[in-house]
Formats: sequence, C-alpha cells, structure tokens
Amino acid sequence: MNPPHFFRPLLGACSASVLFFAGCATAPETRTIDSKGPEALNTASINSQDWASAADQLVQSLLTSNALDRVRTQPAVLAVDRIINNTTLSVDTDLLIKKIRVALTQTGKVAVTNTMGLGERAVVASEAAEMEEMTTGKKQKLKAPDFTLYGKLIQQTDRAKSVTQNTYTFQMSLVDVKSGLTVWEEEREIAKQTKRSSVGW
Amino acid sequence: MKNFSLRIPVVSRGRALLAVAVGLLAGCATNVNTVERAQPQAAPTYIADKRVVTDNTLAGMVRVVAINQSTVSGNLLKVQATIENRKNSLRTLNYKFEWIDRDGMAINSPNETWKSVQLQGRETTTIATVAINPRAVDFVLKLRE
Repeated sequence: MNPPHFFRPLLGACSASVLFFAGCATAPETRTIDSKGPEALNTASINSQDWASAADQLVQSLLTSNALDRVRTQPAVLAVDRIINNTTLSVDTDLLIKKIRVALTQTGKVAVTNTMGLGERAVVASEAAEMEEMTTGKKQKLKAPDFTLYGKLIQQTDRAKSVTQNTYTFQMSLVDVKSGLTVWEEEREIAKQTKRSSVGW
Repeated sequence: MKNFSLRIPVVSRGRALLAVAVGLLAGCATNVNTVERAQPQAAPTYIADKRVVTDNTLAGMVRVVAINQSTVSGNLLKVQATIENRKNSLRTLNYKFEWIDRDGMAINSPNETWKSVQLQGRETTTIATVAINPRAVDFVLKLRE
C-alpha cells in the first residue's frame, strides 16, 4: 500500500537521515602505507621517514669518508657505544642505530661485535662464549673491536608567535680503538615547524 | 551636473596591470642566484640516462640536469643527480634511488627509501646516495611530488 501524499516528504527525510547516520557509523578506514614514504604522518617529533633519512645520510657520509677502510683485515669489527638521547622524546635509539648497523653490515665492510657495548643480545653471546669454553676447554678468542661508534640526539625548540620549530640533531662519531682518535664525525639536522591554529581551545 | 570620469588609455592600463603582476610575483619569488668557478676543476663521470615521464606536471616543475657516478670505499657505487627547480617558488620533491645487481635483480637495500628535498625558486641542487651493497651496478631514480 502506498503512503498518503502528505506523508511522502517525511518518509524521504527519515530515509535520508538514516543513510546519513549509517555513513557516520562505518568502521575507521585503515590502509597499509610505506612507513618511510611521503604518506607517513608528519608530526612535530621524529617520524619514520626522518629516522630513515638520517640513518641513510649518516651511512652515506661514513662510507664516503673511507674511514672503515683503514683496517688491515676486513670486515672491521665495530662496537656500538652509547647513544645519548637529549631530546624530550622517549624514543628507542635502535630506530636509528639498527638502520645504520643493517646498512653497514650489508656493505661487508663491518661486523658488529655482540660481546661489548650495545651489541644485540650481548648477554646471550657472552654466555654462549662461556659455554663454548667449558665444553671445549679452550679459551675463546674474542675479536677486539677496531672501531667504536657513539652518537647523540639533541633537540632544540624555538618559538615565535604561533610557530614552534623543533630542530633535531643526529650526531655520530667513529673512534679508532688503537689510536683513540675520532676518524669520522657527522651531524645531520631535521627541522620541523608547526604552526598553531589561531582559533583553538 | 557634468559627469566626470578619469580616462586611462588602454595601453597605460595594460602596463599598470603588468607592473602590478610583476610586483606581486617578485614579492612571492624565492629565487636563488648562484656564482661559481668559470672553469670548473671537477671532472665528473656523467651517465647517459633514459627517462620515463608519466607526470608531465612534475617534469615541468623539476628537471634532472645530469647524473654522475663515482666509487666510494673501494667498491660501492655512488650516484649523484643534479636537479633544477624550474618554477619561481619553493617546491618539495620526493625521490628514491633503487639499486639493481649485475643479473638485473632488484637489491632492496634498507636505504632505498623515499626522501624529500626542498628547492627554492630556480634553485639547482644535488641529491645523492651510496649503494650499500657492492653487487649494485645499476640504479633507478624515482621522482614524485
């Protein structure tokens, strides 16, 4: 049975509002993106693209310096020292260091020692070496590092009117263990400006 | 009452509009002037390149002037592209280098990521990367807005 003429507009309005609210109730859309691509969210802090860019620039600089070629036998043994985080961000410095380690290891010019410094699973590696000593009765010959790598993250915040600028500095140094000399140093900066909306609560 | 109107010749009005437009554009421009050695001492090894353009707007905005290569740390390929902003305003360009080995296989190095560079108006700058894998012999440079 068709509804009366006077009832039709009301029915149409109700249908439209139902469709409108049904549209609002849809599940949030999630999509997979390239975490190091331009689609990555750009925030006032260091995002995934920034970490990747900083790591790549530092690796490029280190390889171009030829500092790793000073060792007699390759691969050079590298011990990763402390990475000091002097930013207000609570970040895992492995976001930078791991990328650098992976890149350097793939060059074939570096082997990262796990028995000192921030070597991954350093405890397990040490225990494994001890167990090997116990079972074989031979003292294990651990390779002393040729180089140590240390770094620092610094943040400087500047404000002018409604604009806030966060400048993140990634500093890194490579020290020749035998001479104690710094054979390579580099720093890279990423500056981010955030403009606060003039109307806000 | 006598009507009064200011009559400006058409040519003068055109000039005035042009002057205003030039003034506005000059105000917005962030162009870069450069000075360099007249007889460069550097002797880059330029690469003959092949280009595929799928975005004409981007190609009109940024031009790859030249690509040169060198070897660092003994056996690692380094590639540098000289790029030019063809517009009069600040532009952001995203780029990525990908590496290919002798067999034509993609290497997928961890440093093959999109990076961004900002170019002032009419600025020419360089973007570079080092292949972290000694097997890399070829590259693909990808550009996007």
